[in-house]
Amino acid sequence: MSTRATFLARRVVQAAMVVVGVVFLSFFLVRLAPGDAAMAIAGETGYSDPQYVADLRREFGLDKPVLTQFGIYLSKVAVGDLGFSYQKRQPVYDLIMERLPATLLLAGVVIVVSLIIGIFVGAVSAKYAGRFVDGVLRIFLMAFYAMPSYWLGLVLVLMFSVHLGWLPAFGIETMGGDPAPMARALDIGRHLVLPALTLGLFFAAIYARLTRAAMLEVVNLDFVRTARAKGISETRLFIRHVLRNALIPVVTYAGLQTSALVGGTVLVETVFSWPGIGRLAYDALIARDNNLLIGIFIFTSVLVVIFNLVTDLLYVVLDPRMELGK
Amino acid sequence: MSALRRFLRNGTAVIGLLAFLAILAFALLAPVIYPGNPLAIAGAPLRPPGSPNLIAGSDMLGRNVAAGLAYGARVSLVIGLLSALLAIVIGAVLGAVAGYFGRWVDDAIMRFTEFFQIIPSFILLMVLIALMRPSVTATICGIALISWPQVARIVRAEFLVLRRAEFVEAARVQGFTTTHIITREIAPNALSPVIVIGSILVANAILTESALSFLGLGDPNLISWGYMIAASRSAMRLAWWTTVMPGLCIALTVLALNLVGDGLNDAFNRRLGEGGRA
Amino acid sequence: MELTRSLTTRRGFLQSVGGAAALAATAGYPEWVFAQTRSGVLNAMLNVEPATLNYALLNTSVIQSVCGSINESLLLFDWQLKPQPNLARSFSVSPDGLVYTFELEPDVKWHDGKPFTSKDVVFTCAKMLRELNPRSRAAMDRCESITAEGDHKVVFKLKEPFNAFILAFMASTGPMMPAHIYEGTDFRNNPANTAPIGTGPFKFAQWSKGNFIKLVRNENYWRKGQPYLDEVTFRIIASAEQRAVALETGAVDMAFGDDLDPIDVPRFRDSPGLVMVQNAYDAVGEITLMEINQRTAPFNDRRFRAAIMHAMDRNFLVDQLNFGMGRVADSPIFSTVPYYDPKVLTQYEYSPAKAKALLDDMGLKPGAGGVRHKFSVLMLPNQDGPWRRAGEYSKQALADVGLDVELQSTDVATFYKRNGDWDYDVMWNSYGQFGDPAIGMSRFFLSNNIRKGVPQTNTQGYVNPKVDELLQKGATAVKREDAQAAYSELQKILTEDVAMLWMYERRKPLFHAKKFKDVVLGPNGPCDGFGAAKPA
Repeated sequence: MSTRATFLARRVVQAAMVVVGVVFLSFFLVRLAPGDAAMAIAGETGYSDPQYVADLRREFGLDKPVLTQFGIYLSKVAVGDLGFSYQKRQPVYDLIMERLPATLLLAGVVIVVSLIIGIFVGAVSAKYAGRFVDGVLRIFLMAFYAMPSYWLGLVLVLMFSVHLGWLPAFGIETMGGDPAPMARALDIGRHLVLPALTLGLFFAAIYARLTRAAMLEVVNLDFVRTARAKGISETRLFIRHVLRNALIPVVTYAGLQTSALVGGTVLVETVFSWPGIGRLAYDALIARDNNLLIGIFIFTSVLVVIFNLVTDLLYVVLDPRMELGK
Repeated sequence: MSALRRFLRNGTAVIGLLAFLAILAFALLAPVIYPGNPLAIAGAPLRPPGSPNLIAGSDMLGRNVAAGLAYGARVSLVIGLLSALLAIVIGAVLGAVAGYFGRWVDDAIMRFTEFFQIIPSFILLMVLIALMRPSVTATICGIALISWPQVARIVRAEFLVLRRAEFVEAARVQGFTTTHIITREIAPNALSPVIVIGSILVANAILTESALSFLGLGDPNLISWGYMIAASRSAMRLAWWTTVMPGLCIALTVLALNLVGDGLNDAFNRRLGEGGRA
Repeated sequence: MELTRSLTTRRGFLQSVGGAAALAATAGYPEWVFAQTRSGVLNAMLNVEPATLNYALLNTSVIQSVCGSINESLLLFDWQLKPQPNLARSFSVSPDGLVYTFELEPDVKWHDGKPFTSKDVVFTCAKMLRELNPRSRAAMDRCESITAEGDHKVVFKLKEPFNAFILAFMASTGPMMPAHIYEGTDFRNNPANTAPIGTGPFKFAQWSKGNFIKLVRNENYWRKGQPYLDEVTFRIIASAEQRAVALETGAVDMAFGDDLDPIDVPRFRDSPGLVMVQNAYDAVGEITLMEINQRTAPFNDRRFRAAIMHAMDRNFLVDQLNFGMGRVADSPIFSTVPYYDPKVLTQYEYSPAKAKALLDDMGLKPGAGGVRHKFSVLMLPNQDGPWRRAGEYSKQALADVGLDVELQSTDVATFYKRNGDWDYDVMWNSYGQFGDPAIGMSRFFLSNNIRKGVPQTNTQGYVNPKVDELLQKGATAVKREDAQAAYSELQKILTEDVAMLWMYERRKPLFHAKKFKDVVLGPNGPCDGFGAAKPA
């Protein structure tokens, strides 16, 4: 038990260090990019004068030396204040919290859906390894992995929204829809289908592949041979021993994929006008909304770190015999 | 049985390899099949596939889509290959150093690697591109910068094991320099997982490049598949071929590379590196 | 071949769906099915989430579209850009052109019930707009005094005549803001910025971030009988394809000028369920152009600039890339603006031969690969759409006359940084006319408006004392014909000189469902609000 505790404690400290690194690096990285929020706003309004640009810089604190800006920022972040968004003129924390549920919902559904599809297909593939079913399944799912997600999104919209008219093409809910909770949940569910499929099929392909590979490896291990020799039924053996052990790399990888998932939402949220963090990040970047962008970096990094810690925990649960060092 | 033999016995892998070679040939022969600038206006806009001289139709500016696909293959492949190569170089060096020296060196490098794995890499990439101004070089460097950590982890894992191997001990006893041991003794033995991950990296880089172009962060002077999708996505419903064709090309290439990768993996008889925790 | 056929049928299908209710209803938008019972709701779209709903603070087109129904201006402008009463029931100008007096509507209330008075007008013009809005500041800085006389009269005294002054009271430049909410506060961070209060026909109701904004009927609106609709909603949809789908499936009833890619315009124009309004943005009068940095050779040579004009087939830009939504720009002044004078303009028709001759004349002979000169063209920072295509086209068109263009794409912030820092050879851009050359275009040519670090100024470095003089004369002339004379001569000089590379006038079409009428009543389009809009 104590080894587990030390292991997790060490992970927490390491994770905290990485988050601090994120704060430092993102702050300076974002400021290295040419142009600033004042220029972007002054240009976009189509009419500007020196006072306008200067006013904006003063408002945003961009008129101070970079190191001073960094000092101010650090002192704020230290007490949990992520500052104000230049573009949206609201606290960054509020903006992120407004958008977070949409992204979490999408990401959560994507993780669940892709794991279910991926593990199922992977298991079937492994069971029939080398046979026709295996080949077809692998290539079918891998094709989804190979498609650019935004492109798949566009094609799905064209098919299911424009042609067949089955599903809504964009947004998270119908405006002025039925406010009753059940009806609303259903409505959101319908809006969720296409974006979740777009991203979910991509990750499902990865998980299927991992599950298959891991299961094939486990099948050849000694304990499985022993179990088989003991006369345990094939199905039971397959599920209890093979699948369970094969899940370890899959779960690990799913944990490591959280940051990729957040990145993936940028595109999918753009294609489906999903009101989430990913799109917010893109908008913040092009407008040099530094505080917002850094805030999103910090926030998502913390999320990923937490997710990885949970993965580590799962790791321990799934495989009690594993060595807890490196 | 040699790895090559095993690879060639694998049906899907061979199909993938053939598909990839076909795309490669398409890219190499682009100037022969379609002489002239693929960005030049060739005729009336939005002609459907099968129109005279336009096997894949024309786009909104009246450019030949098939010519675009051929030249786009060049750009996509070059970006894919070069960024994968760069990522492998960065990742291999850092991974080798971390794995060979271990202790604090390893710890420091791994924290640094972790940083790149935790920060949402696509958003980081967008920042990097904005920083460098969109161009082919920026795209290649940017993609390499976000994809080396995978390589580093794998190489490190190999080195951790191999540095204790007998032949390495023997080299050490013989008094070879550290550089010699790393590059001549260990590296060749750690090559196979890098080759496997390499094919996946190329595929991912092609996808990433297309995503960048889709968001308007690609090089506007060169035609790439992602660029073609971005440039004509608004015409998707009027002229499906302008968007669907380059998308299919990307999917086909990435699929082929992944099949090759899987085949290599099986041939080298290893678990796919990216999945394992180092 | 099979594919071609299915495409035609599909297109036919889409067109019939365009606005018609029955088929689209299956797409999961029940609003449309119940069109008859719920026609009191007008659903519109926004292409990006507004940064704020403080109209005075920021003046982007999405903010105008929303706030136009919330905040009102003193005057409206008709199709001829003639002022009409609004919050000001009447106004007068002294014969010397120095004193403007406005009589206000007496019974106007803010959405929170407080009365709208001259105090609000003075606060808005003298303080708030002047501090926040550069376009308004340019006009208000010309005032010697802005004073209230009683509760319903405001007098503006100018330092010198400025004949475009009245346009500062147009909705997009001069929205009236509530003094009792903003006075003495930090304008930039006032809570009302996200829950605005105005005098307009619709009240702010809800802002679901990233999702939609909802306005509801103002029961106490001062214009009797208005508004006719119960709600106006704005759905935030970031991608052009999705906006087209929304309009097509009937999920929304309206598309603003920037909402659709021009490629979709012909399809919607032919749609039986939709009305297209082509002049809803004429008051802005946007000209798409290329700025050319005239500080160095060969860009400082008139012949080089003329060669570029001849090399570009601007009819192609209008007809093929913008699907007819516009007109070739032959003057620095938008063609529906009063001072536009077609008689004095030097025309630059499409002629690669003339372009080559001009370049030859300059001594720029074709070198290796037929290249005469290499330079960069910075594209507008939009991911797709007509501007991107225009950028791509310019590369090809200029290559045909031996000019090797390196296209550069940037994001918004970099784009305006490079604009403000003069860090470009040639860059695509656009300017709005806002009803008068003195407001819209003079700032790009006045030599005293060359200001490094400030985007959207005279970044080309164009210096011509005669032009400075004519711009001053045109803006301050008391008599209309004097102003016309100055602006005519100005147009002659600027086009002769190719002072800028004007490409085309962009006429952004506004679409709305046929089930509504009186949606657009003047050249300010949505800026004037939807108070008069009603079910057809």
